[in-house]
Amino acid sequence: MPQPESRAGGAVDPVLFEVIRNALVEATEEMSVTLQRTAYSTNIKTRLDYSCAFVDAEGRMIAQAFCQPAHLVTIGRLVPRAVAEYEAEHGKGTLGPGDGLLVNDPHRQASHLNDVFLIAPVFREGELVGYVANCCHHVDVGGGAPASIGAFREIYQEGIILPVVKLFDGGELVDDVLKLMLANVRAKKEVAGDLRAQHAANEIGLRRLSALWERYGAELLGSYMDRMIEYSERRLRAELAELPRGEFAAEGCLDDDGITGEPVHLKVRIRFDGSTARFDFTGTDPQRAAPMNCNLTQCFTACVYVLKCLVDPDIPLNEGFYRPIEVVAPEGSAVNVRPPAGVVGGWEVAMRLCDIMFRALADPMPERVPAGTKGMICHVGFGGEDPATGEYYCFLETLAGGYGGRHDADGPDAVQTHIQNTQNAPIEETELNYPVRIHEYSLVPDSEGAGRRRGGLALCREYEFVGHEPTFTTLADRARFPAHGLHGGCDGKVASYRLISGGEARELGSKATVQLATGDRVRIETAGGGGFGPAHERDPEAVLRDAREGKISRARARDAYGVAIKPGAWEVDLAETRRLRE
Amino acid sequence: MTGNRFHLGIDVGGTFTDAVLICEETGRIDTAKVPSTPADPSIGFMAAVARALENGAVDPGAISHLVHGTTVATNSLIEGKTPKTAFVTTEGFGDMLEIARQVRPSLYDVHFEKLRPLVPRDLCFEVPERLDAAGGVLKPLDEDAVREIAAALRGQEVRSVAVCLLHGYANPVHEERVAKILREEDPELLISLSSSVCPEFREYFRASTCVINACIVPVVARYLAGIEEGLGRAGLEAELLVMQSNGGVLTAEQAAGKPVFMVESGPAAGVVSANFIAGRLGHADLISFDMGGTTAKAGLVLDGRPRVTKEYEVGAQAQPGQGMTRAAGYPIRTPVIDLVEVGAGGGSLAWVDAGGGLRVGPRSAGADPGPICYGRGGTEPTITDANLVLGRLNPDYFLGGEMPLDVEAAAAGIRERCAEPLGLDPVEAANGIIEIANATMINALRLVTVRRGNDPRELTMVAFGGAGPLHANRLCMEMRIPTLVVPPSPGTASALGLLVTDLRHEFSRTRVTAADAADAAHVRSLFERMEEEGRRTLRREGVAAADMEFRRGIEMRYAGQSSEVAVTLPGEATHDRAVGGMDAATLADAVRRFHAEHERAYGHGYPEEPVELVNFTVTAIGRIARPRLPRIGSNGKGISDAQRGTRRVFFSDAGGFVETAIHDRALLRAGHVVAGPAVIEEVDSTTLLHAGYRAEVDEFGNLLVSPGGAP
Repeated sequence: MPQPESRAGGAVDPVLFEVIRNALVEATEEMSVTLQRTAYSTNIKTRLDYSCAFVDAEGRMIAQAFCQPAHLVTIGRLVPRAVAEYEAEHGKGTLGPGDGLLVNDPHRQASHLNDVFLIAPVFREGELVGYVANCCHHVDVGGGAPASIGAFREIYQEGIILPVVKLFDGGELVDDVLKLMLANVRAKKEVAGDLRAQHAANEIGLRRLSALWERYGAELLGSYMDRMIEYSERRLRAELAELPRGEFAAEGCLDDDGITGEPVHLKVRIRFDGSTARFDFTGTDPQRAAPMNCNLTQCFTACVYVLKCLVDPDIPLNEGFYRPIEVVAPEGSAVNVRPPAGVVGGWEVAMRLCDIMFRALADPMPERVPAGTKGMICHVGFGGEDPATGEYYCFLETLAGGYGGRHDADGPDAVQTHIQNTQNAPIEETELNYPVRIHEYSLVPDSEGAGRRRGGLALCREYEFVGHEPTFTTLADRARFPAHGLHGGCDGKVASYRLISGGEARELGSKATVQLATGDRVRIETAGGGGFGPAHERDPEAVLRDAREGKISRARARDAYGVAIKPGAWEVDLAETRRLRE
Repeated sequence: MTGNRFHLGIDVGGTFTDAVLICEETGRIDTAKVPSTPADPSIGFMAAVARALENGAVDPGAISHLVHGTTVATNSLIEGKTPKTAFVTTEGFGDMLEIARQVRPSLYDVHFEKLRPLVPRDLCFEVPERLDAAGGVLKPLDEDAVREIAAALRGQEVRSVAVCLLHGYANPVHEERVAKILREEDPELLISLSSSVCPEFREYFRASTCVINACIVPVVARYLAGIEEGLGRAGLEAELLVMQSNGGVLTAEQAAGKPVFMVESGPAAGVVSANFIAGRLGHADLISFDMGGTTAKAGLVLDGRPRVTKEYEVGAQAQPGQGMTRAAGYPIRTPVIDLVEVGAGGGSLAWVDAGGGLRVGPRSAGADPGPICYGRGGTEPTITDANLVLGRLNPDYFLGGEMPLDVEAAAAGIRERCAEPLGLDPVEAANGIIEIANATMINALRLVTVRRGNDPRELTMVAFGGAGPLHANRLCMEMRIPTLVVPPSPGTASALGLLVTDLRHEFSRTRVTAADAADAAHVRSLFERMEEEGRRTLRREGVAAADMEFRRGIEMRYAGQSSEVAVTLPGEATHDRAVGGMDAATLADAVRRFHAEHERAYGHGYPEEPVELVNFTVTAIGRIARPRLPRIGSNGKGISDAQRGTRRVFFSDAGGFVETAIHDRALLRAGHVVAGPAVIEEVDSTTLLHAGYRAEVDEFGNLLVSPGGAP
């Protein structure tokens, strides 16, 4: 059995190893709590669309807090690059205590512009120990529509681009940078408040790490961090040795790129050879002059996420976990974008990659892989002048959908999937703070992909705006291509994005920005999850329960599952069911 | 014994039911410990009562004061044994419980399950009606629709209904009307209103609180009624009081109506007890550390008041390193004494993971089969086994000798499961298990101290629970906590908390108001209305006006944030004195203190930023006289009488086994000083004292552990 130390090497105490590992994670967790409690925008304080991590002096990801899977690879990839760029420009050693680097440029391997990173070096007695960093999805960073989401051709239309700049210099706020940034964004109070929260989180991280370094010393911690990385790598390779070997392929499509109406084709070939995992996206469409492109970091994130789900969840996620992973993504494709293409839909692309990668692995690993999920981030943004205050407000949220059926369990209803785990915004809080009224927030009956294990139900949310005419944007997907079923299970229901105006409803498509009139409503129904296994093999009692709970109709029980329910009673008609299923 | 009056506390835990009996006049304490009876906890309850009365030779009629702490409410939820309950909400939102927070409790797990709603979807009903965020009626209540719900409930065996309408926190008018109609249609229905149980905004959390209340109302009401009947039969006439999660008590009648307030009744008693024990020594800022069989719990008391939180999830155990709630349990928004609970108890399992890492907890061997050394079929090593192998536990004096422990079996288990895979010897591995468990507990202690801006060097630790005193000295060393208090009978110290607290009712109202626009007169009347409600309630409970006390608080945030920081208002009111000062200056002062609190908690305050007042709270307290506790006095002798020889005990700071003096706590007297390294044994616990520390016995029988040598 492998060990955290080779006794021959003699340097590592297994107990201290566990203690230090937990203490490092704990420091990032403390950052996380601070960020949430002090943040201003609903997107961060309530929906938790942020992450915190600690990266060592060599730029290796060491520890990260429980938060958004999407952000966590990004921090590890971005920090060394941002620091290197800053030092290349300003000279090695120009970063000092109290500095904070601000960056959000996806073409520098941040993610989309909304995700703003703040990176602070940690020093202990003049020596660089590492970096604390966090990433927040800001509710607005300027650009063509409120909430900075929408379908644009170029990154320049998507909002303000922050290359690597100092927001804090020797502990002092660089006011000019802040002013420049705030001048370019709509929700100034929220953005300023969230930046303060990002700073506060890093400060807490700095304190905790300094205390750790004081306690254990740089030499010991350095050697233990090496071992942590080796430990994760070793455990991952041990798991890879157990995974089925071979090459597994799948492909899928996004509805459209947001500009042309043409679907975006995504392709993956996954190869497991017993000690490495190779993800090759050759054959994916070239990038578009549109928002539906992701950068290499986002693509890599999806691969790490998928692999992490296939192995023991207990393996700590750090640099060592990345080492056995190789990603081949042709430059200039929709999964490794070059400037000046738009990237705001990059997470939508990465999310879909997860579904497609799981699909590739469905045959070799049927018990470990779910059917297709809602498979999109499903951004909803709106903003305008709040009639109560006269101020420009912005709001962003993302809607859940159905999860895919698993070999031994149904797909959960209305839940965030894969790289996304943001909470919903309470309706009462939203209505209290913004001039919006939510008329419905519900499950969508009959939206599941039927199967022996059914997919999860989609979610419906209906908006109306009070006393003003806001701009409303959806940046989403799955209106054309449903969540796939597996092993004979059915596909889930596709999403719908409807504008209801003057009593008439029209489909907006998954990517649209519209100017609403007073009294207009927007009704969004997200996608249901795919089913697993033939629907006629589903336990009739489970079908009956779904029907009794109103999650599926009696007609669907009969048509999709071959289960007849006695009229006027909640009882399976066994004879009729047998006949239907023959 | 005639003429003397007695206070009796009964704490029903998962494994044992503890009783503490105190004589009001003499302060004499008797205790009893009987096995809990989960199938019907009232059996264990009555057995504990009987045993305590027998031990103390006390007549049932002499009990003047009777308090109960229980996990019955929580257990019925965790075990899914709640009766059929319905949920009524605003049209369009009937899936609130199904959707919940729309998140997964684990990130990289495609086999996760979402929490099962406590009310199935076919018992969630929608009524046409709508309020706005200010409580204004946008759409009137459709009363016929309510009657249809009542009709639909007939024949469904639903006994209890939770009603949570959108923005019901701002205006209860529709919820109250729904209740009235439902009662007209079926007078037997038990109805919980969100506007009454938890009138705060954020619908899912309020609804969840209300639904939990509705689910456990029938269980708790029946349970308490059963106990009262049993007490009556046994001749106990004292009114039954029940410990609440906030550390106060309510009459059984009150508790039965709002049982969601008592989900953490048992653990709260421990913190109250720690506060009482330290308070007598003049320590107002402390950490309560309670380590039992399956978990360790850390709580914080500042300025003599236990810290209370309103972010709590039923059924979700906190993990070390847990930053925030993870949607792993059912959230409640009622005040709960803030405890961080980690999976490190005597029965927590140790194993080597696939990567060769030594791990401890949170899985537990529980009471059955328990640790290997119990010899009851346990095969996986536990923290208790490790302590035994290290010589810290006396195999012949566990539970006073009632249960002999098998050292050989414990050592063999540790060798096979932990030591050999790691290439360590069993003692090294056992020490590793203890070190890792300690690290987990340190994380819990950090969560309640440094993470909240409290410096452990300014705190006192009170350690109890069967296993607490074994680990506490080491934890204090690591955390630099200067003073450790180990009360007598640590195993039943928690139950003592039941007898040293007050009647306590919490009221709150959400009125989001900009601080600079707040009208002091309006705020005053808001407080006064809640105080009047509190006064009425206390009066019904028979509290004399002179024993009433009211505390006001405002939960504030920077305009734009969502997490509030609670600020207590000065000038505690009593029954007759209209609380002074609620004027512009009082408010301004409260806002100033908010800035300071924010800075303390999160490292930064922003005095230039606008502040919002969010929730206004009143705590109504009915003071109950504390029993006088005995003093042990000195016997004028040295401590040699208390010494029971020596044993080889492993100390990691010494790098091996040290011949260590063993003391019998029952024979220690006030003024005695034990120098570490030492072990102090008593019937229900063992205290481990490290080298460089001394334990002084005070007049109450506490061990006061601090750095220093022999006298």
